[in-house]
Amino acid sequence: MTAPTPSPMTTDRLEKPLRALGWIVVALLPVWGWTVVQAPLDAFQGVMQKILYVHPPLAYGAYLGFVATAIAGGLFLWRGRESHDQLAIAGAEVGTLFCLLMLITGPIWARGAWGPGNWWVWDARLTLTLLLFFVYVAYLLLRSFTEGDERAARFASIYGILGVVLIPLNYWIIDLVGGAIHPDNLAKESSGLGEGMGLPFFVGNLTLFFVFAYLLVLRWRVGAMRAETDRLESDRMAEAPEMA
Amino acid sequence: MNTALALLWKDLVTEWRSRDRIVAMTVFSFLVVIVFQFAFPDTEQDELTRLAPGLIWVTYVFAAVIGLGRTFATELENEAMTALALAPGTRGWIFLGKAAATWVLIGLVQVLTALVFALFYRVDLSVGLGGSVAIVACANVAICSVGTLLSAMSVRSRFREVLLPVLLIPTLIPVLAAAVRGTTYSLAGETVGIDLLQPLIVIGGIYLVLSFLLFEYVLDE
Amino acid sequence: MSPVRLRGEGVEKRYGRVAALRGIDFEIAPGESVAILGANGAGKSSLLKILAGLSRPSGGRFDASGSEDPDGSALRRDLLRARVGYVGHATLLYGELTARENLVFAARLHGQRPTRDALDAVLEEFALADVAERRADTFSRGMAQRLAIARAVVHAPSLLLLDEPFTGLDEASGERLQSRLEAQRDDAGGARSLVLVTHDPRRAVALADRAILLHRGSVRATPARGDAAFDAEALREALVAVARGAEAAA
Repeated sequence: MTAPTPSPMTTDRLEKPLRALGWIVVALLPVWGWTVVQAPLDAFQGVMQKILYVHPPLAYGAYLGFVATAIAGGLFLWRGRESHDQLAIAGAEVGTLFCLLMLITGPIWARGAWGPGNWWVWDARLTLTLLLFFVYVAYLLLRSFTEGDERAARFASIYGILGVVLIPLNYWIIDLVGGAIHPDNLAKESSGLGEGMGLPFFVGNLTLFFVFAYLLVLRWRVGAMRAETDRLESDRMAEAPEMA
Repeated sequence: MNTALALLWKDLVTEWRSRDRIVAMTVFSFLVVIVFQFAFPDTEQDELTRLAPGLIWVTYVFAAVIGLGRTFATELENEAMTALALAPGTRGWIFLGKAAATWVLIGLVQVLTALVFALFYRVDLSVGLGGSVAIVACANVAICSVGTLLSAMSVRSRFREVLLPVLLIPTLIPVLAAAVRGTTYSLAGETVGIDLLQPLIVIGGIYLVLSFLLFEYVLDE
Repeated sequence: MSPVRLRGEGVEKRYGRVAALRGIDFEIAPGESVAILGANGAGKSSLLKILAGLSRPSGGRFDASGSEDPDGSALRRDLLRARVGYVGHATLLYGELTARENLVFAARLHGQRPTRDALDAVLEEFALADVAERRADTFSRGMAQRLAIARAVVHAPSLLLLDEPFTGLDEASGERLQSRLEAQRDDAGGARSLVLVTHDPRRAVALADRAILLHRGSVRATPARGDAAFDAEALREALVAVARGAEAAA
């Protein structure tokens, strides 16, 4: 029953990848911006339609975030390393951000596409994203309400694994049952891309993927640094003699 | 396996002697049915019949949340949770026993609720009864397995009454969708074949196995 | 009952800001009685939970072996729990079950099905024969405590772990509990190990042969029977000294 040895400084190991990702993002963002501006205006929806370039790529962050949380959680349950749990938190927080952005841009586009009053549509992707958002929120609440840091990490790992299974399960069920509830499928809409819309779409996917990766590693590193300071602080306090 | 039976026996005996959970769930279910009655006052009968499966399942799900919230209530007195945590071997069996006990209790409450529903909403339950029972039984497996796992976790938190529904309900959405669909067909008199039960069996199976395995990590102190 | 040997090297239990144990070494041989002393927050409960197989250390080595041979079969955490009998300040009982039913349930959790005679013997030993069919929530404090100990030993554990069982007891009840625990310790021909977590040095000296003094997650002293330091007064002073930051005489 040998316990795992503490891992080498996560903060050090993450520095180089973080910097590399940062440069990639800095390079891609203006390219993306330019392609979006250059893209032809949709005849019917006008400028609003350009939200379409932002909304679907956000899915990378939203979904991969939770996948990262689940995998890191699983590793934590198996090995007990704090660094895995820090990655899990990073995945959850960054993922929630992307998920929230999807839920904001989705209705904006829906209104643009279908006119005033149509702020929400029960299309497959938006519904799934809404459910994912609730799972994220539940995950974060579980973390803050559980008593004891190590227990919170353990419970969160369990819920993360449960939650990640929920994604394909919900997709399957919505597909199965959805015929009755959901008349539209935005995915079908967006596959009808016109001329000149393919490039900004592709660049957008690439850019937001790297933005997600960058934010994930950044948040992971922050978590690791915070834990390191906590540990040092705790050790220092233990050495100090107690007041009589 | 023995452990699971021990837990099942213990939970059913303690429930029989205190009747805590059954009473709470039944009273709650009846109240919900009555609330619906007032929420839909001028609705046409066929409209109500169309809504019935959804309304029944909303009642079932919320009653289940109430019942599941009290799964580990007897363990909290006298810190008996520690006794469970100290049990040797695979902890999944403890989970199984508890989930099975909840399955029985929820089932009983659901039968009573269904009778009240049939009365108030003039729903003919005898139509497709076998199919309805199969659907409820399968859905309950999913509800009880993931519910027991999450109950064990929420019991260690502040705001446990709020936390459990928040954790549980997102996981029950697929169950709800599949169960309502199946019940709509069974109450309409269509035979419930494997294609209607299949989603529930799959979800139930996944939740059961996953909860069994993950429960190992819940009891550590 | 097969004896258990517990060994720890550099055992740590920490997470984030919280460091309950900061690298401690210990060995508890089969049949030994050890007391773990320390102020609140010293790490006593954390150590006990690791010994019980209730939690996993975050660093270092912890081994439990299942025979007198030090290189004997290593026990996994879930198998270690089978050898453990635990008494805390809570009774771990189910109020709605009778005394007998509580014992049956505890035994079954450990994969055992004791005969009616065996249970009768246990109930007799703990002066609970008359109330065997009464619900545990009707019991007096003393009866509940006896049942709690009976519950802990019904599966014949080779390791008895006591987590501050004297908390909140008056002098008379404390004495009664102490003699019952002494009886359990001496049971099984000396093959049963005992670990007592307490902050009361008197109980430590009565029930154990040596003590581990913890402070803020580290071992500060390990007096044993025969040392001048192993008496109630000396231990009390040592605890105060250790809290003040001085090194106590080992």
